[in-house]
Amino acid sequence: MTDAIDIRYERAPLPPAQSIWRLRYEKFRSHRVATYSLLCLALLILVCLSAWPLGQMLDIDPNKTNLLARFRPPSAQHWLGTDDLGRDVLLRLLYGGQVSIAVGVLATGLMSIVGIAIGVSAGFLGGRVDSVLMRITDVLIALPLIPLLIVLGSIDLTKLGLSASAANSPLFIFLRIVIIIALVDWTTMARIARAGTIQMRSRDYVRAATVSGAGRIYNVFIHVLPNISTPLIVAATLTVGRVILLESTLSFLGFGIVPPTPTWGNMLTNAQQLIISAPHLAIYPGILIFVTVMAVNFVGDGVRYAFDPRAENEGGSQ
Amino acid sequence: MTSLLQIENVSVHFPTRGSLLRPGPVLRAVDNVSLNLSRGETLAIVGESGSGKSTLGYAVAGLRAPTSGSIQVNAQRRHRDGRHPVQIIFQDPFSALDPRMTVEDIVGEPLRLSDTPVARRQRRERVADVLEQVGMPADAANRYPHQFSGGQRQRIAIARALIGDPELIVADEPLSALDVSIQSKILNLMDEIREKHGLSYFFISHDFGVVRHLADRVAVLYLGNIMEVASADDIFSTPSHPYTRALFEAVPRIGRGRRKRGTLLKGEIPTPLDPPSGCVFHTRCPRATAICTTTRPALESAAGRPGHLAACHHKD
Amino acid sequence: MLRYSLSRLSQAVLVIAIMSFMLFAVIGLMPGDPLENMFEGNPSLTPELMAQMRELYGVDQPITTRYWNWLTAALQGDLGYSSLYFRPVLDVLVPAMFQTAKLLVLTLMVSVPLAMILGTLASRKPNGMIDTLVGLFSFAAISLPNFWVSLLLIILFSVKLGILPASGSPMSDDAGFWIHVRHLVLPVGVLAMFHVGPLIRYVRAAMIETLSADFVRTARAKGLNERTVIVRHALRNALIPMVTVLALSFGHLFSGALVIETIFGMLGMGKLIYDAISNVDFNLALVGLLMATIVVLVANLLADLAYAVLDPRITL
Repeated sequence: MTDAIDIRYERAPLPPAQSIWRLRYEKFRSHRVATYSLLCLALLILVCLSAWPLGQMLDIDPNKTNLLARFRPPSAQHWLGTDDLGRDVLLRLLYGGQVSIAVGVLATGLMSIVGIAIGVSAGFLGGRVDSVLMRITDVLIALPLIPLLIVLGSIDLTKLGLSASAANSPLFIFLRIVIIIALVDWTTMARIARAGTIQMRSRDYVRAATVSGAGRIYNVFIHVLPNISTPLIVAATLTVGRVILLESTLSFLGFGIVPPTPTWGNMLTNAQQLIISAPHLAIYPGILIFVTVMAVNFVGDGVRYAFDPRAENEGGSQ
Repeated sequence: MTSLLQIENVSVHFPTRGSLLRPGPVLRAVDNVSLNLSRGETLAIVGESGSGKSTLGYAVAGLRAPTSGSIQVNAQRRHRDGRHPVQIIFQDPFSALDPRMTVEDIVGEPLRLSDTPVARRQRRERVADVLEQVGMPADAANRYPHQFSGGQRQRIAIARALIGDPELIVADEPLSALDVSIQSKILNLMDEIREKHGLSYFFISHDFGVVRHLADRVAVLYLGNIMEVASADDIFSTPSHPYTRALFEAVPRIGRGRRKRGTLLKGEIPTPLDPPSGCVFHTRCPRATAICTTTRPALESAAGRPGHLAACHHKD
Repeated sequence: MLRYSLSRLSQAVLVIAIMSFMLFAVIGLMPGDPLENMFEGNPSLTPELMAQMRELYGVDQPITTRYWNWLTAALQGDLGYSSLYFRPVLDVLVPAMFQTAKLLVLTLMVSVPLAMILGTLASRKPNGMIDTLVGLFSFAAISLPNFWVSLLLIILFSVKLGILPASGSPMSDDAGFWIHVRHLVLPVGVLAMFHVGPLIRYVRAAMIETLSADFVRTARAKGLNERTVIVRHALRNALIPMVTVLALSFGHLFSGALVIETIFGMLGMGKLIYDAISNVDFNLALVGLLMATIVVLVANLLADLAYAVLDPRITL
């Protein structure tokens, strides 16, 4: 009654094994704007990292004020001149870039962890946990972020039991901004992670693993997370740009990174008072914020295009 | 001799979403089902969509805890060396394989998940071995699922089910997503490995052709209730329950001209949220009488036909 | 519909209650002490008197007690005094709300039509010349720091060209209509740019999807001219979900308003909140933030209800 299996048919030549990453890389390369943006970002980061050697070479301390040398025009020592306190503008821009980009990357990383943990738990556990977590997300996503961040940024950490010297150290101020941005802005990540998890948890391969004895943790890490990584990576890339904007806005308003540590945002705080006397000081930091955020967003668009199997005919237009 | 699988009075109910104060009605997916499956036997579960046959299969595979009743698998081979006595094959071969894993990782997963881990090299050998058995080339192991056709994927899924040396495989409509030409090949494959490995199938299907070919016994499910259980030969030649009869009538056959009138099912399957009283089939039954609306018929053998069980007040 | 509205409303009330507690707790963590700030520099304040005041105001009580005291007073209409303006908080906040409302409504009147026009133009030929330009514009609008754009525009229009004022509101309240308009051009312009970027992308995506829908093809097949098809059929359908998108963007818009009001010196809600937090005015900060939260949540609630009314597919 059993016929022999027609093995020959199934042994028809298989298509060559092609890594999905190779395909994505090629697709990203075909998105020209994104490719140039990535190069531009890489260059920017390199230049920002050269701040220390450059300062050594020109013998400048970026935080040293010199009231006798205010508003100096560009010179051999001060390539972009000096600011209202006589500090070198170029070095402060480069150090500020390090801080801004570091905040962008670190806060995005932290909020991804928070958001993914919340979204995956909501999606996998379902029921009451899901509805409570999602109600919180709905509310948080609607609230105005800047006022919330200003309040959180103004918290006096000594009231939470931190010593005054620690609370005012540059490292803590830096970490504080990273943490508060992650605390209020994890909602997008959580939504994406939840939607993906709900889709994945009823996939048959998750069921098959469960039949063989897989637990929830195994399924989340082995089956769910790798399969929802695409939208998460895209969202994370776009988030870096948003975080850099948020940080610069907060620092501009005086509630983010505070001087003497320079950031592109707090370099603009004083610019408002100097609009008449030194308008050029308002130009450089803004251009750098704009170029960085724009480049990050284009890279995000390129990643989306490269990772999305449906976007065959979209994007990569320029 | 004890049977391999004993299902006793199993019910699977789902609570549905209600309002804050009032819980929603209960969905009775499977209602008080008892079945036995002997070693080496293939039991087919047939029924319309929504009859609860997949839910019953999931309960057997351990994916769904029964609300009440017990399911017992009397495995003979010991649960070691990555052995999993019950495995499952799904309908949709595209959702059954993790697209981010290589075939080797997919097929070897049950070994990885077993209590006694199997060394990587040994795992690789066993993967190659089962792939060979299901008719896949050995170089398939390093590829990804998207590089294979539906039939090939189903072979990979079968290999994954086979690697833990199971005694019972729950097959949830494993052929219905495949092209007809592929169906017969997979069917033959399943038939062959059953004999080779002494397997039992808990075979869920709505395709009577396939059931007739593969099944030793058939159970008919309607709204979570068993309507009829009998050996395949018996049930196909002389069905006892009016529902079974209507199901067979509904299958279009070539060269039969117009169907007989009157026996065809009228209306839709009622909602399992609010099943009919008495015999759940009475709303669509051509033989329904007063007693059918009030009393649920027991699943008993028909007169003079031992072993042929039917739940009907007016069975043949 | 009524039940749905009521349940959403009760949820919103609960959320506002929780938010008020959380804001109360966080604002209590701002530097300084509300009493010290209030009587700062008052020479007649001896340490003994201070201790009595602390007792009177219950500053040393646990946070739940303090919150409860604040809440009962607030529900009776006593929201406290602003230490920055020496006036009851509401007297300061109500005019500010009108100021912000004016700014936001004018912004929406610019950004929504602009997004609809640009998004629709871009959607007509995806990846065409116009689409590329519009895409570039919206990318730039998303990536530009709004405070920097404000500074640049002030440098250009107020300092260099001298044709527009650098502040958002005139010195005297009885200034003429056109003077008001001249003061609002820059703030509204920047805020609209800040708001329009994501909106354009949304309208474009929604229009591309709608234009390929069956009912639009039918409308075209009927021979309707392109303008009628786009405006009467496609745009209308694409805009229903826009209600939700707009409501969700409301919080984002308010964030922008805070920055713009601060830079252009407009005494709106945003600037008040900013000033209150900068100067550690506990009462003003708390009530201001709470009011902003309530406005945003109510806007979202109304949008959800409007969506339910507009979209016939949702039955409640």
